[in-house]
Amino acid sequence: MMRHVLVAIVVVLFGLIFARMVGGYVELEALRPLAEQYVTRAPVELGTPNIITGILITYRGFDTLGEVAVLFMVAASVGLLLKKDDAKASSSKASSSKASGATANVSGPKTSAAKPVLAKTEAARAAAARTAAAKANASARAATASAVAVKSAKVAEAAEDDEAPRREPSEIVRTGTEVLLPLIFTFGAYVIVNGHLSAGGGFQGGAIVASGVMLMLLARPGSTLNVALLSIIESFAGVFYVGLGILGLILAGGFLDPRFLPKGEFGAFISAGAIPLISALLGIKVGAELSVIIDRFRS
Amino acid sequence: MTTGLPISTILLITGFLLALIGIWGMLTHRNILRIIIGFAVMDTGLHLVMVATGYITLGTAPIIDKALSKAEAASRAIDPIPSALVVTAIVIGLSVTAVMLAYAIRLYAAKKTLSIDAFTESKW
Amino acid sequence: MVELLFHPLNIFLLGLGGGFVIPLLYRLGKPWLHAGFFIALIGIVAVSGVSFAGLLQGGPTIEVLTAVGPPPLSINLRFGLWEGFFTFGVNLVALLGALHLWDRLKGNYGALLLYLILVMGIDGMVMTRDLFNLFVFLEIVSIATYGLLGLERNAAAMAAAFKYIMATVIASTLFLLGTVLLYYVTGTLNIDALIAARAEIAGPIGTTALLMVLACLIVELKPFPANGWGLDVYETAPSGIASMVSVGVSAGVFFALMKLLPLFQDQLGIIAVAGGISFLFSNLIGCKQTKVQRLLGYSSISQMGLMMLALTLLTEIGATASIPLVVGGLFVNHLLAKAGLFWLAGVLRQDDVDARTSLSGRPLLLGLLAMFMVAIAGLPPFPGFWAKWELVLQLTSAGKLPWIAVILTGSLLEAAYMFNWFVRAMRPSDARAEAGPDTVALLPVYGIALLLVGAGYLAARLSGVASLWIFAPLLTGVVLYALDRLPGRVKNVLMLLAVALVGSWLAESATGIAWLFAVLLLAGSLVIAAASLYRDDPRPGYFPMLAILLLSIPALLRSSTSLEFFFSWEIVTLASCFLIAKGRGAGPHVLTFLLFSLLSAFFLLAGFAGIASVSGTTSLSALLTAGPDATTALVLLGIGFLIKAGAIGVHVWLPGAYSEADDDFTAMLSAVVSKVAIFGLLTGTYLAIRSDAALELAHGMAWVGMLTTIAGALMALRQTDFKRLLAYSSMSQLGYIVTAIALMSHLGWVTALYLVANHMMVKGILFLAIAGIILRTGTRQFGETGGLARAMPVTFILFLIAIVSMSGLPPLMGFGGKWLLLSAMTDKGWNFLAAAGLIATFLGFLYMIRLVAGLFFGARQPGQADVRELPVALLVPQALLVVGILVLSLYPKLLMDPVSAAIDPQFASTLVWEGMSLYTIYGYWNPTPVMIGAVVVAAILGLVAWLLYRGGVGRSGNLARFYAYYRRVIELAMPPVATQFWDGVTDFTLATAATFRQVYTGNGQTYAMYVLFYFLAIYLASTGPAGFWIGG
Repeated sequence: MMRHVLVAIVVVLFGLIFARMVGGYVELEALRPLAEQYVTRAPVELGTPNIITGILITYRGFDTLGEVAVLFMVAASVGLLLKKDDAKASSSKASSSKASGATANVSGPKTSAAKPVLAKTEAARAAAARTAAAKANASARAATASAVAVKSAKVAEAAEDDEAPRREPSEIVRTGTEVLLPLIFTFGAYVIVNGHLSAGGGFQGGAIVASGVMLMLLARPGSTLNVALLSIIESFAGVFYVGLGILGLILAGGFLDPRFLPKGEFGAFISAGAIPLISALLGIKVGAELSVIIDRFRS
Repeated sequence: MTTGLPISTILLITGFLLALIGIWGMLTHRNILRIIIGFAVMDTGLHLVMVATGYITLGTAPIIDKALSKAEAASRAIDPIPSALVVTAIVIGLSVTAVMLAYAIRLYAAKKTLSIDAFTESKW
Repeated sequence: MVELLFHPLNIFLLGLGGGFVIPLLYRLGKPWLHAGFFIALIGIVAVSGVSFAGLLQGGPTIEVLTAVGPPPLSINLRFGLWEGFFTFGVNLVALLGALHLWDRLKGNYGALLLYLILVMGIDGMVMTRDLFNLFVFLEIVSIATYGLLGLERNAAAMAAAFKYIMATVIASTLFLLGTVLLYYVTGTLNIDALIAARAEIAGPIGTTALLMVLACLIVELKPFPANGWGLDVYETAPSGIASMVSVGVSAGVFFALMKLLPLFQDQLGIIAVAGGISFLFSNLIGCKQTKVQRLLGYSSISQMGLMMLALTLLTEIGATASIPLVVGGLFVNHLLAKAGLFWLAGVLRQDDVDARTSLSGRPLLLGLLAMFMVAIAGLPPFPGFWAKWELVLQLTSAGKLPWIAVILTGSLLEAAYMFNWFVRAMRPSDARAEAGPDTVALLPVYGIALLLVGAGYLAARLSGVASLWIFAPLLTGVVLYALDRLPGRVKNVLMLLAVALVGSWLAESATGIAWLFAVLLLAGSLVIAAASLYRDDPRPGYFPMLAILLLSIPALLRSSTSLEFFFSWEIVTLASCFLIAKGRGAGPHVLTFLLFSLLSAFFLLAGFAGIASVSGTTSLSALLTAGPDATTALVLLGIGFLIKAGAIGVHVWLPGAYSEADDDFTAMLSAVVSKVAIFGLLTGTYLAIRSDAALELAHGMAWVGMLTTIAGALMALRQTDFKRLLAYSSMSQLGYIVTAIALMSHLGWVTALYLVANHMMVKGILFLAIAGIILRTGTRQFGETGGLARAMPVTFILFLIAIVSMSGLPPLMGFGGKWLLLSAMTDKGWNFLAAAGLIATFLGFLYMIRLVAGLFFGARQPGQADVRELPVALLVPQALLVVGILVLSLYPKLLMDPVSAAIDPQFASTLVWEGMSLYTIYGYWNPTPVMIGAVVVAAILGLVAWLLYRGGVGRSGNLARFYAYYRRVIELAMPPVATQFWDGVTDFTLATAATFRQVYTGNGQTYAMYVLFYFLAIYLASTGPAGFWIGG
């Protein structure tokens, strides 16, 4: 009770601070000088119609590189944390806890019932959350097998445990997957390569691709992902990204300057210097990384 | 626009409210997964706030196409910077969530419970 | 080309490129993996090192531009001197840390790439000039840390890591929101542009955004009380990771704070308070901690707090010129020493301070441990010492006295728990230590120790006192340490030679009274040190340390600035502390000794700082010219020296240290080392003469001295252990000297010096004799000795001469001293003091009789029939000292002339006795009646005591029973008030610590709430209650 009062105080005080900020907020009427510079310079200087992509990949490319490193590290961290070396111990513990599983929480299925595909990176996050929730709630699953995703994940787990019979995914799921997967991958690829022209880019597209991978893994629990290949791809994409940055340093104005390739015709598919190339590498890298992360949560 | 509130203010309020809900969730629920969800809600709310601050009255997406010519970009585009920052922020939020979930799995494996109260080995 | 190769941008190319390549190399095989990792890491170190070196040679600050266009448009980074210093330091330690952590990193490509990118991320935090980019690097660092914390897979470590994530995630979310809102307010993310537009950051959004960024940085530095999550990680993480969090990640965050400080001009006070609270409370709670890594965690947090405090206060008072020395010094000190301690704890696999793993058999490890602790405690010769000195000096001149109290109290507490660990590590263990850690595992620790020494030297250079002579004692010690494998006696002789040579060189440059002291003490110490030849065991580490001690004394005496004085003072303290620690039962007393010494040193520090702020110079000659403003400084200095002289009330360290040190070293402590405090007092009194409050203060000090004498004598009477009796006797005799100094007249000072010389020789003889008696009889109890006069006649005679001289009976030296003192007191009109002096003389007679009678008269103890005369090695030094006494008794001019010459010029203007030479005084005062009077009074008092004793029923005429009777009387009449008081202080401190550490519930959610509350507190402190109101 005491805690709830304290938390209420925290929330109320933050609410007051937020309210004060809202009170002090005035919608901007015009671009500030720096933003205006971006808006006017990016199309001319870089030849990219999508100014945000121009900023992400060029002006603030250093951030983006760091962001890629963050994702890369997450893949490594998750791998490090969920390494199989004590899989045996954990599975035996898991079976021993079946009896007391009722205490575990059942909120996981609710989250996983969310829409399977979002065209934003949140999708990947929700996906990761879902998988983990499914895994962590392993013992509560028998009672709460309401969502398809959870069910299939359970099947995968159960197969390891050799305690429950393997349950095939339902017809709807299988067919749906077959129809959707190519569409998702194509859409992802489209978003990636058109990042410099329209809304989208490497991160967004990569997340879409990864969400497709997740759908595949959920719908076909037996299928395996070639993690080794993916991580090699991921590494190469990263190395090439840094390499492109260095080319920019040597051939153009500075590290990550994409203008060492011709700008091309404004708005054309092949244009805007190395931006599409970097975008594609980003997409590949993000897609591969997210897929690897998802796969690691599965095991 | 009959409410009288500018569109970005509405977004701002929504975002802050989400953040408050997230904080409440993070601090009141004992289940680690719910705590993580609380964080995700808070994070998302704040992303909304960030995007909202980049809005220019009557502005449009800063992508030069049929709807927005180069010439009028400077006067009609919204501020692209917050949008660009939010992409990065989202990715980082996702990363943190993933790591937290991985830890949640390890913690569950260790103690067969997800209650945060069970993990107080080290104190003082 | 070279410039291009070592361009700072390459840090990121190596870090990221290397990181991305590592999984590929892993597929090629482990050798490739390991080679790739080290190439990248060494590359990062080399790039930062070469760039830093270039800057040091006057190269321009390197601006690193990225992408297209100039800074506000694209992200830029900067590599200036500060950046170079931080990155190179962290990178170097990270490289050594990788070696330390190699067992866990090896073959684990995930861990390797996380480690590599972590290092790069810290560099990025330091170098970037873009606020959002700073956030990205902060997250890189955080996530790498989260991942690496997964290396330890037990439940506690996992839980700790999760708490850490919860707290830091909230902090970085604040940073993110703050950054974006700052962009909304100012329209830029470039740090330089933000600083330029500082005035625009106002209004509800701007202020809140700024405070969010600030709160994140402070929280990331783990402020009390919102830091339980950090402590848990320090406790449970692998030592290598914990050290990276402590020194690496914190360094990055701290630098970010430093870089953004111009934005927080209005919040400097808040940051200082946050730092001060963290510093004080972490150190307080640390006192209650026994888990080694958590202990180090408390220390880490406190160091960060201190750095915050120092940075903001110096900025606030505008002493920016001192920031490099203070903040740089504190940083590098923490960086190296803390990493070393974490690694050492890891190598030793020591979880608990109380663990039975003892280092007593491993001098090298013990030495390393001691070295790191000395550094952490801010003692010389390490950078923390120079930094703290400068910090206190600057704060004093700005009048920030409460802050100084905070800093010194915190430092004392920190020293307490750190050295508590050391003392426990040192005590002899029952179980013989199993095979020690292999040399390879210790290599990084050695590396960091070397760096620490180098850093200490550089800091000394920066302070402007790095000269050969000031380091000569330490250098001599190092050279002797290299020869430590020689037989004990050879080492002893070498040590004597070294001390004689270097010591006379050092003493040569001293002037005035200092020169007199130097000559006297050097001669005395050589004679007494020669007595150590009676032992033939190797005594590892003893002789080098003794050389350092004995040489630091002349070095102290030749100091011309208070910094040099303080440096040598601290070295004397440390060396004596380590030497006392060599005693068999010294354990707990070492800590007491050290803490009181540090207490004394902190008073001195404050006092010297006070004088420097009054006179504007650290030159010791300022003591002679300071005006009446220096009263506070005088009091502080006086207290400092009195603590060290074992004055009443603060004497509790003395008996334990004296009686538990090695027997021959006790002689040195009492005869020589105690005189350093006396010298300090003498010098400090110059101030008293200049200050208005001189007379009352001097009177007070005289009483302190006299009471010390009486209390010392009474407690000496209580002892059944004769070494302890002599220890109290030392205290008692030092009291006389203090009184003499307090007279503040020519006569008083001559007396003081006379007594100093007398006491040195007398106590040298007595303690050496005692050492021999203990050697021969194997006991320290009066009950187990007696009748030794016949067995050791030479010793007896020497002993008797010393006792006579100490008692002040004619015709020996002590006589002159005693009557000079009594006369001077009556002359000044301090009649009560003179009366007290008579009582003290009487009590002195009593315990001296007891000593002589108990040891040499009476019946021989059974089983001691074959006790022989003392070894020659002990007799010769005693004989030499007796010769000294005789010579000075017969030809007092030998001492009096130089003493007079040394004192006169300085006293010329204020001297009461101006114009009257010493011989006139001799002629003016007739010594005989004075002394006859004293002896008669003593005899009467003795008779009264005897009659009182015999008045009881059934009391025999036995002398031992007589003393036993009065022992009980004294015990009843004089409860150990001081001991009880200090025990109470200790208990209170520990109880407070126990109370405050209740905030660490161990619950991650609670910790997350603390973090949010912390932000709210900072917000409230900055905006006031109006900040919570929409219209506010």
